[in-house]
Amino acid sequence: MQLNSFQQQALDKQRPTIEKFGRKSWAWTIFFLLWIIVGGYALYLQIADGHIVTGMRDNVVWGLYIANFIFFIGISYAGAVISGILHILKVEWRKPIIRIAEMITVISTIIGPVFILLCVGRLDRLHHLILYPRLQSPITWDVLAISTYFTGSVIFLYLATIKDFAIYRDAKLKVPKWRQKLYKILAIGYRGTPSQKKHISISMNLMAIIIIPLAIIVHSVLSWIFGMTLRPGWHSTIFGPYFVLAAIYSGTGVLIMAMWVYRKMYKLYDYIQDKHFIYLGYIMLVLGAAYGYFTFSEYLTDWFGSEKWNSEVIHKLFSFSEYGWWFLFANVAGILLPIFIVAFPKTRKPGWIALASLFMVAALWVKRYLIIVPTLESPLLPMQDIRLEYVKYSPTWVEWALTFAGIATFFLFFTLMSKFMTIIPISEFGDKEKTDEKITKPEAEVVPA
Amino acid sequence: MRKIIQILACSFLALIIVIPGKLIAQTDSSSKSEGKEASTYAPLITFISVQKNDNSIDLKATVQAKIGGTLTKLAGLKIEFTIGADSTAKKLGETITDSRGVAIFTCKPDQLTTDKEGKLNFKASFAGKDSIESAEELVSVKRARLEITPLKEDSLLTVKVKLIDLSTGAEAAVPETDLGVFVKRLFSSLKLGEGKTDEAGEASIEIPNNLPGDAKGNITLLAKLDEHEVYGNLEAAVTQSWGIPVSDELKELPRALWSSHPPIWMLVTFIVLMTAVWGHYIVIIFELFRLRKEEPKTT
Repeated sequence: MQLNSFQQQALDKQRPTIEKFGRKSWAWTIFFLLWIIVGGYALYLQIADGHIVTGMRDNVVWGLYIANFIFFIGISYAGAVISGILHILKVEWRKPIIRIAEMITVISTIIGPVFILLCVGRLDRLHHLILYPRLQSPITWDVLAISTYFTGSVIFLYLATIKDFAIYRDAKLKVPKWRQKLYKILAIGYRGTPSQKKHISISMNLMAIIIIPLAIIVHSVLSWIFGMTLRPGWHSTIFGPYFVLAAIYSGTGVLIMAMWVYRKMYKLYDYIQDKHFIYLGYIMLVLGAAYGYFTFSEYLTDWFGSEKWNSEVIHKLFSFSEYGWWFLFANVAGILLPIFIVAFPKTRKPGWIALASLFMVAALWVKRYLIIVPTLESPLLPMQDIRLEYVKYSPTWVEWALTFAGIATFFLFFTLMSKFMTIIPISEFGDKEKTDEKITKPEAEVVPA
Repeated sequence: MRKIIQILACSFLALIIVIPGKLIAQTDSSSKSEGKEASTYAPLITFISVQKNDNSIDLKATVQAKIGGTLTKLAGLKIEFTIGADSTAKKLGETITDSRGVAIFTCKPDQLTTDKEGKLNFKASFAGKDSIESAEELVSVKRARLEITPLKEDSLLTVKVKLIDLSTGAEAAVPETDLGVFVKRLFSSLKLGEGKTDEAGEASIEIPNNLPGDAKGNITLLAKLDEHEVYGNLEAAVTQSWGIPVSDELKELPRALWSSHPPIWMLVTFIVLMTAVWGHYIVIIFELFRLRKEEPKTT
């Protein structure tokens, strides 16, 4: 395939990244593998001894695993909604960042559901979900929705990468033969003819249209697992949009963090520019404000109603001897901090925005934990003379080890994928960019101390 | 790279081998503690007799033993039933205990022999087997019979029960004895009322007229004398069409959130959504096939 000068420049810039698996990459990979091995040992213990090795008991049956599941499915929104919407709106500045967004989507959609499997007590009965499904059960909806969403995400990522695979195929990259063969297979004979371009364009538009409602349905279904039950703090009509919003919000945060890391690591300043951080910062600000509004509305309604069980959960969230500090962190770092950092021009810089994203993503994880655990610690039937660990949940090292193994797997997959395909989509620098896009050196970056 | 693939493949294989092994091992964990228990167990036999109104007697022996600190019902044990004192004991028959540890033997009227006092002396014995020691239990009761007569006056339903002593060879009414009337339900009997016998040995007990019966409206009424110090347990049964007919045919449940079939709207929504999404996927895959077909032959 013939490349224009911008595409050639982008390929030359990223060629060493995908051709060589350097010492740094090996070190990263081994580091993540060690985490995963520790997680593997924890998993072995959990399978051998049962869920007694976790902090989950009869009363609090969900804990870290489900918080991680919601978190990972949430961040998968980065690719689905952000790149889907930006594609439909034909926003030009999206092009250098969509690959990262779509990679986040696929990887987190793989890792998220694994945490469900870790939480299930009788994995040997897992096939019953397929053999004896009940369409009325939100769990069945979730299985169908997530598998459909995962398929869609993979197709979306693949469609956006076909042109690049054709470029890798023709660029004579110094990579092993099996990779060259794989690039050839994945390029499915794309040569850039007008009719081939049309097929890709039709497919991309179709996918961008369907992926947005699909992503919204997936996270709404996820929220209904909670919202459909008559539990304090869960049974809420706004849980669907609240979850969707939190998911897009945290997905944007992870996307900003990934952009910052890759820009720094591979010196991609020409492509991932300050304006990308600022635009995504604006999106984050709007989402943060909307998320804050939903949070306020949700807790105000519960508090004002003074219903016995809801009040008990509210008390736990506001009491500093219980979850008060965590709740404060979730709201300050998750709502106020990103808004203030983006709102003020002095801090509206890539480093600050990435830092705010880091805090926001951590806060959103805490928020998921706070949705699950305090509610389950407030049983609807009074429990007397029961052991403390049955009422109060505290995660064990096994759960933490598997949580960190999940995060390590996320980073490992990201590392491996970024060695297989370029982070900046080369084919996206088509003819239009020659006139519209002016690749310039960025201004000096301000990184917070 | 090849080494990494080899390591990953080995780890995966190890997981595949280890995990099912551990899952199987899990199911055996409950039996670990049992092996450390005592080598022999002393069984306990609970033995009762139930005299029926057809003059037969049910002998019921329940065998249990303390295993691991809890009373466990012992299944599969051979229980021998005999009648008469030790020197003149006559074997009636044998029965194997079921999963509830219960062995029941029905003794026909011609097998019954009484002692000088007019008593029936039954014995249930277990000879011992493996780690379970031998055991026996005796029951001594006087011969008696309960008679049950259903009476209907307008809408008033009454059950007349009569208790008759048969130990002397002649029939004699037994006064001042508490009796109960029950209706047989699926799992056990439901008590409908109780009464005390008069000088004629009779008690009349009113029963409700709205009891659910079988498909024809039949209900089985039972008169019972439980754990009497002289007669033991007595029972009489009669079937009467006094119940409200209830069909035992399974009616199909309506489509609902709680039934086995989802509501139509839910099914339609599901099919529409899945068809829309997967339809898009199919169109896209079709487009990709067309793209592949259109690859120029010379490049």
